[in-house]
Amino acid sequence: MYCVYCGVKLQEGAGECPLCHTPVAVPADPGLQPEKNGAWSDRYPRAEKHSGKYLAIGLVTAIMLAAALSCLIFCLKRTGQAGWSGYVALGLALAWVWLVLPTLFSRWKPMIFLPVGFACTAGYLLYICAKTGGNWFLSFAFPVTALVAVMTLAGVAMMRYIVQGRLRLMSLLVIFIGLSFMLIEFFEHISFGTPMFEWSLYCVSVFCLIGLFLFVASFVPGMRAWLRRKFFF
Amino acid sequence: MRKQWYRLDNAALIFPAVMRKNWNNVFRVSATLKDQVDPETLSRAASDLVKRFPTVFVRLRTGFFWYYLETLNEAPPVEEDYAWPLTPMTRRKLKKCCIRILYYQNRIAVEFFHSVTDGTGGMAFLQNLTARYLALKEGIDIPPGGNIVDPAEAPKAEETRDCFQLCGAEVSVSRREENAYRLRGNPEEDFFRHIVTGIVPTETLLEKAHAEKVTVTAYLSAVMAEAVLARQKEDPEPGRRGHIKITVPVNLRKTFGMNTMRNFTLAVNIGFDPRLGEYSHEEICRLMYHQLAAETIRQKMAGRVTTNVELQRSVPLRLIPLPVKTLAMRLVYALSGESKGCLNISNMGQVSVPDSIGKYIERFDFVIGVQYSYPNNCSVVSWQGKTYISMIRGIRDSELERLFFTRLVEEGIPVEIESNRR
Repeated sequence: MYCVYCGVKLQEGAGECPLCHTPVAVPADPGLQPEKNGAWSDRYPRAEKHSGKYLAIGLVTAIMLAAALSCLIFCLKRTGQAGWSGYVALGLALAWVWLVLPTLFSRWKPMIFLPVGFACTAGYLLYICAKTGGNWFLSFAFPVTALVAVMTLAGVAMMRYIVQGRLRLMSLLVIFIGLSFMLIEFFEHISFGTPMFEWSLYCVSVFCLIGLFLFVASFVPGMRAWLRRKFFF
Repeated sequence: MRKQWYRLDNAALIFPAVMRKNWNNVFRVSATLKDQVDPETLSRAASDLVKRFPTVFVRLRTGFFWYYLETLNEAPPVEEDYAWPLTPMTRRKLKKCCIRILYYQNRIAVEFFHSVTDGTGGMAFLQNLTARYLALKEGIDIPPGGNIVDPAEAPKAEETRDCFQLCGAEVSVSRREENAYRLRGNPEEDFFRHIVTGIVPTETLLEKAHAEKVTVTAYLSAVMAEAVLARQKEDPEPGRRGHIKITVPVNLRKTFGMNTMRNFTLAVNIGFDPRLGEYSHEEICRLMYHQLAAETIRQKMAGRVTTNVELQRSVPLRLIPLPVKTLAMRLVYALSGESKGCLNISNMGQVSVPDSIGKYIERFDFVIGVQYSYPNNCSVVSWQGKTYISMIRGIRDSELERLFFTRLVEEGIPVEIESNRR
């Protein structure tokens, strides 16, 4: 039995040519059914169970909880108030939200975990601001956290959901990241009275140069291919 | 029994570092018998070889500075074969055993994590496993000879050594070379591997190669390069076009006259730049042949071994903890590890076994896995007048196989095709 298109001899019972996928027709026996899988089994590998995963998560959570509680108890006994142990306990809680919480789910869902993480970060900063009697939360910490959150979400959304023109969008994002440093310095200026636009100009120039390079590369197939070859992972 | 451990040989160092969740460097050798395989007897045969092949029955362990291999006291359980070859050997599986012994109908297959051994070592082990199986099943007496050893004797010291440390030159040879065109395709979602085996008469293949005054490896590399070139011409992105290069692993045992059951292979890239102009079939054959000859001379190979071994011997590098080393190796591999060739053609050559067991064996097969970024790979083995050319792919598109095998048909070589199907 030969493939009429490729000219190669086929296995007995083959339903189609494995090379060009031309269906096999046997005029002498039009009702002939192809054999199932020839010399290969129908066994598929089983997905590995990750039974150790939840044990590890539980262990890490228990260690973090023990550290937070012991700090709180120690501080409450010594001074009668939470004091510095509040920073430790909430810091550990924040680390848990960022690092451990996503591992509880089978798939990483950035559009859920990232906003939750940034909201908790803002909450932690609010706590620090309130405890230290500062008034920098609304004018600095909150807008900067929101800015970083928006940029991160935009970047992740672009990498996950957009297939065409990624490089061009990424170049624009890099330029926006550069420009956002000016905004951060502006918030710093109105909160702490530091001079306007000093260090941020260096960041803006570096990020804008990288962004412009990527933007140009997105139009040149040769450069695009070179970038893909060099930075595949 | 006290467990022995082995440092990874020079070629093996990279494989544990660059492995991913669903990809690592594995290969497979298999023997198809004339009768159905009995799994219980196969299991006994494997158990009988545990002490004789301490570098094969191993598991991968993690040290502070390097990975290492630890011997096993028992053979792994034999398993029924899967719907496709070289299913992923995950880190968890490698911690238990670095080889997998499989059976299906008449076939005995062994899959190896590449840190254990190379194709030649793997084939030697398979022959011994098959010989032991036949001795138990058929009750025949198989005297040692060729690759077949006495399972009762102690392993020889030369079998367990890292030959890379013994054959270097005074100076190293630069690894610098042009990047090659990269084949692409839509990957299979569940990591299914398509395997298409073309069976061709060895005599005809040799005649065709000799008519071009080249070796079989050079001839097949030339035909494959033509197939890749045809693929490149169809590529919708002209900016991606580049060198057509075939990676050919070279068995250094013959080059340096040493024997080992560990890795002792070095790959060379041979090819041409199609952007320079059109090439005829004869020109490509000659190019491949002469490049292969020039690249594989002993002195150049020794220099390349030195390049690799120098890094391994560097004291500052040795003192870096394994996680940092792993990160660095992954980075280097991502940037340049698989960018120098389009695909591999690994030709094991003619397999021979003593007549006492040869009459029970129908055929041998040799399959190498796909690389992380090469979607296609090709391996070749010859047995009793037939050459088995196995092309594996992790993508849906079978165009490269079609171009390669139909080119052989056009050359006047009859090809019989077998494949696994979903």
